[in-house]
Amino acid sequence: MTAVVETRALTVRYSGATALDGVDLTVHDHEMVALIGANGAGKSTLVKALSGLLRPDSGTITVSGRLAQVPEGREMFGDLTVDDNLRLGGWRNGRGGRDTTGVYELLPELAGIRTRRAGALSGGQQQMVAIGRALMARPDILVIDELSLGLAPLIVTTLVGHLRALNTDRGLAVLLIEQNARLALDLCDRAYVLEAGRIALHGRAAALARDPRVAAAYLGGHIEVTS
Amino acid sequence: MSDLIGYLVTGLGIGAGFALVASGLVAIYRVTRVVNFAQGAFAVLAAMLAASLLGAGVPHGLAELGGVTLGALTGLIVGAVAIGRPGTSPGTSLIVTLGLGVLAYAVEILIWGDQPRSYPGVPGVADLAGARLQAHYLLIIAVTAPVFALMAWFFTRTDLGRALSACASNRYAAQVVGIDVRRMGLLAFTIGGALGGLAGVLTTPVQQVTFDSDVALIVNGFAAAVLGGLTRPVIALAGGLLLGVAQTLAAGYGGGAYQVEVALVLMLTVMIVQAARTGPVAETAR
Amino acid sequence: MRRRLPAVLLLAVLTLLPPLLPERHLATFVLLALAATVTVGVSLLMGYAGQVSLGQASFYAIGAYAAGLLAVHGVPPLLGLLAAPVIAAVAATLLGAPLLRLRGHHLAFATLAVQLILLSLLAQADWAGGAIGLQGIPRFSIGGFELREDLGYAYAAGFVLMIAVLIARNVIESRAGRGMRAAATSETAAAASGVAIGGYRLAVFALSAAFAGLAGGVYAFYLGYLAPGSFPVLLSIEFVVMAVVGGLGTIAGPLVGASVIVLLVQALNTLGTQPGMPGYAPAVLSYAVYAIVLIVCVLYLPKGLVPPIRDRLSVRPATPAPDHV
Ligand SMILES: Nc1ncnc2c1ncn2[C@@H]1O[C@H](COP(=O)(O)OP(=O)(O)O)[C@@H](O)[C@H]1O
Ligand SMILES: [Mg+2]
Repeated sequence: MTAVVETRALTVRYSGATALDGVDLTVHDHEMVALIGANGAGKSTLVKALSGLLRPDSGTITVSGRLAQVPEGREMFGDLTVDDNLRLGGWRNGRGGRDTTGVYELLPELAGIRTRRAGALSGGQQQMVAIGRALMARPDILVIDELSLGLAPLIVTTLVGHLRALNTDRGLAVLLIEQNARLALDLCDRAYVLEAGRIALHGRAAALARDPRVAAAYLGGHIEVTS
Repeated sequence: MSDLIGYLVTGLGIGAGFALVASGLVAIYRVTRVVNFAQGAFAVLAAMLAASLLGAGVPHGLAELGGVTLGALTGLIVGAVAIGRPGTSPGTSLIVTLGLGVLAYAVEILIWGDQPRSYPGVPGVADLAGARLQAHYLLIIAVTAPVFALMAWFFTRTDLGRALSACASNRYAAQVVGIDVRRMGLLAFTIGGALGGLAGVLTTPVQQVTFDSDVALIVNGFAAAVLGGLTRPVIALAGGLLLGVAQTLAAGYGGGAYQVEVALVLMLTVMIVQAARTGPVAETAR
Repeated sequence: MRRRLPAVLLLAVLTLLPPLLPERHLATFVLLALAATVTVGVSLLMGYAGQVSLGQASFYAIGAYAAGLLAVHGVPPLLGLLAAPVIAAVAATLLGAPLLRLRGHHLAFATLAVQLILLSLLAQADWAGGAIGLQGIPRFSIGGFELREDLGYAYAAGFVLMIAVLIARNVIESRAGRGMRAAATSETAAAASGVAIGGYRLAVFALSAAFAGLAGGVYAFYLGYLAPGSFPVLLSIEFVVMAVVGGLGTIAGPLVGASVIVLLVQALNTLGTQPGMPGYAPAVLSYAVYAIVLIVCVLYLPKGLVPPIRDRLSVRPATPAPDHV
């Protein structure tokens, strides 16, 4: 197993306030890893740092292969068509990277709406476009910031099905950031728990799901923990 | 009746110039959120250079192309100064472009002096359904129409154009997919410069140009663009044509007076109505 | 006592300097003081109401024409001069009510449009002299005493500047001023703290117009002749340059800004009119100065000249920083 993404002692500050504090995180080939944490824990900051949109204040990020992200809030090009959104996802790959047929095969739901304006789509459709747009970069690892936020359960099931298939059939590694910890821990192999910019816990997803601290804080459990 | 047709076509010709300036403003604003005050200067510089080149014996076509190229180059320079420093806010950039517009005065007077300039365009008088008008107006319209078609094609059908539209639509998402938004901003300034330059070289034969002609151009261009909230090129085109026609009619039937006021009052009305509709910021009662 | 010092210093300069100046520099002094008066208002407007006006010369023109027209029609000059700021402020209130709904570049273009409309109307108004201009404005006089010499106008301009500075200082240090400062930085925050932004903004707009109108009144009597061409759009831009260069939201800022720009342009003008220089040299040099100073200042010295200097001179600011609300 080789690491696709590895951070060492990653620290990011926003004009003084520390958002990430010495984060060590690894995602291996073909692996699905969950990152859970409360609002403001620093999850989106980590995503931005991994995709090179934020410069770390210290520590290292090693990405071997290509990383693509599905940003929090989906961030559509709202005035553009679905097809144009997808094509722009291949921007980094240059002229040859604009062929969208592969993505329509992987996400057949998109084929029927390819000429629609992305801004006019439902949240679930937009999330599908955002995933498709990220896939256009031909990534080795997909980082998804808040997969299910604001979406109906049915579409979440569809999206999860696609992710599972991408992972098993294509070997795509996934770092999944998710409010619904149960969903994330069920889907993924390993998981990290981020609290106030630090990794508080990490390990096998199944084991974390049974951990009383995780249950109390993220799974709606009722065990009082003082840590 | 033939008067009216004459005024209409003349107005469309003048309006096409405004529309080109306006679309340059829109191209820049969409991508960078900067209102480029130096937009009129592109037109003046281009027209001045074209006049000099024609004076030196360069043939028509080539001379105008030279002017447009200078407009584009100036656009790039203005963009580099206005948005080149990371973290420059659009408000700051507006003031910078204002300064660059004044700097253009210095350059223009230094090179070309402060006297009005012009050059002959398409010679002769056209006869259109009984209306007689300078044939050059037809050329302005004939060039502007395909330019707008070309732009529509560029912004929706080419990858570079889509990337510019992407920056306009969602800057953050553009960064996420790896588009260099600052470079796209510079490209937008270059395109805006070329469009401004085209307006200058096209309209100079019918409206001579002085170093400070830019004020009228930028104000009319802004008036046209603001109709579409500075982001919609098609409305900017329609707005420019409308302004041109309205001013020509005002001049034609109003005996020359108050034609400046038409555009300005229209612009003020549009902005105030827009602000009233969207309600800029909730204001507390006095 | 310490906060009085700058005002006393200014008063000393305005009283002691004019008699020492040679005749040919008195004109510069008059124009500088008038420009500074207008700029005090522009700085207040930009720094405290957060609004860019590219049409401040309109109110300068309105004040000048008001005073000039009244005087031409036999109204005593003192009354004309007093009417100038009032009429400018009334005009600003009427215009500001709709216009101040606009923000940022919209307001900038709206104020510019107002000035262009005004210039065009003036050029077509025969009763105001039309494009040729308004001639034969009598010299300023109170009772039987007529102001003939430039020295007298230097004092008049200095007096007007002093009034603007004192009023501006009182406004800034008032509770309302602090509210406006908050409004300039964050409208929502100011609204939340119960500041009536709309009213304040209109009041500052009217006050800044009154300063410009007053300065315009003096200008009319000083020159004795007015034309639309005396109030180009570029003049409005110059006021913005002076305000930005000096530093917005300070009292010393507009004074320093106006002085630096006027003296710099004057020096280059002298250079540009040297024998052997081409005829276009003065224009080129002054445009270049306005442009470069503005650009460099906005990009590299966004607070202007005064705040950094003041911070360096005193560990504690002489006046309480206005941004603590
Ligand atoms: N651009 C920013 N500037 C300043 N602080 C920020 C910025 N973005 C996020 N933060 C702060 O950093 C912390 C982590 O934010 P974020 O990474 O968005 O958390 P999460 O995605 O886990 O909800 C929060 O306290 C947030 O307020
Ligand atoms: Mg987040």
